[in-house]
Amino acid sequence: MRWLSPLEPNNRHQGVRTERFDGVGNWLLEMTEFREWRYNEGGADKAVLFCSGNPGVGKTYLRQMAGSLKKLNAADSPY
Amino acid sequence: MLLTARISSLVIDSLCDRAQDDDIAVAGLYCDFLSQQDQTTTNIMGALLKQLVNRGGIPDHLREAFQKAKKEFGGRAPRLTDLMGMLKILIASLPRVFICIDALDECLPKYVPEILESLRDIVQESPRTRIFLTGRPHVREDVQRYFSAAVVIPISPNRGDIRNYVEMRLDRDSEPEAMSNDLRVDIVRVILEKISNV
Repeated sequence: MRWLSPLEPNNRHQGVRTERFDGVGNWLLEMTEFREWRYNEGGADKAVLFCSGNPGVGKTYLRQMAGSLKKLNAADSPY
Repeated sequence: MLLTARISSLVIDSLCDRAQDDDIAVAGLYCDFLSQQDQTTTNIMGALLKQLVNRGGIPDHLREAFQKAKKEFGGRAPRLTDLMGMLKILIASLPRVFICIDALDECLPKYVPEILESLRDIVQESPRTRIFLTGRPHVREDVQRYFSAAVVIPISPNRGDIRNYVEMRLDRDSEPEAMSNDLRVDIVRVILEKISNV
């Protein structure tokens, strides 16, 4: 099937889902807007749900912050 | 990795979990700055087609049409019009198709209108198709140009998401001996405070 496209979206999906942590985004699945998009049999005008967001808080940022807090704490420690 | 990618993977998984019961087919794709050259409209539509064909349950006559098309293309890659023709026939033959594209804004800007136009073609032909898109706020205008009634949901990390994430990272910390309960509580508290100030 490679002749159809060189992109391999399933590989990326596996990568993303192993990095996903429990509970993230569950609020979206509960939203009325999401449920209407998901379950309603609306026509073409109801086809699209667009989630807009900035990169915001990435893994790297959080890891760096946790790392620097640990260093700070170690420096404070009398041991 | 962006928060939206995690949200997209959650949506894709929640759809796939119910695919058999709900009689739906799901195709999902993550765009990425690092693969911009490969993310042409043709390759994206080809990837969706590939996923939907792989789901199985494809009528024999369609499978034959694909084999025939493959021979016709010979060594060359299929053109967008060829792919769109096949994709539209395939989607029309399936009960209900969900297409998810993450980080639309990470495609080269020259492809974004063409991708949206192709999606609109699909929806016009098969109005029950549902499309889930994510992207930075600036692509909203592009999306609404092609889908004026698109529902827009702003995504930002909420405190619960962040707390869960930080707790998970702390659980997997490579130096557990350097961690104490007090430190753990401090890390979570300070990160949540910092983020509320952003």
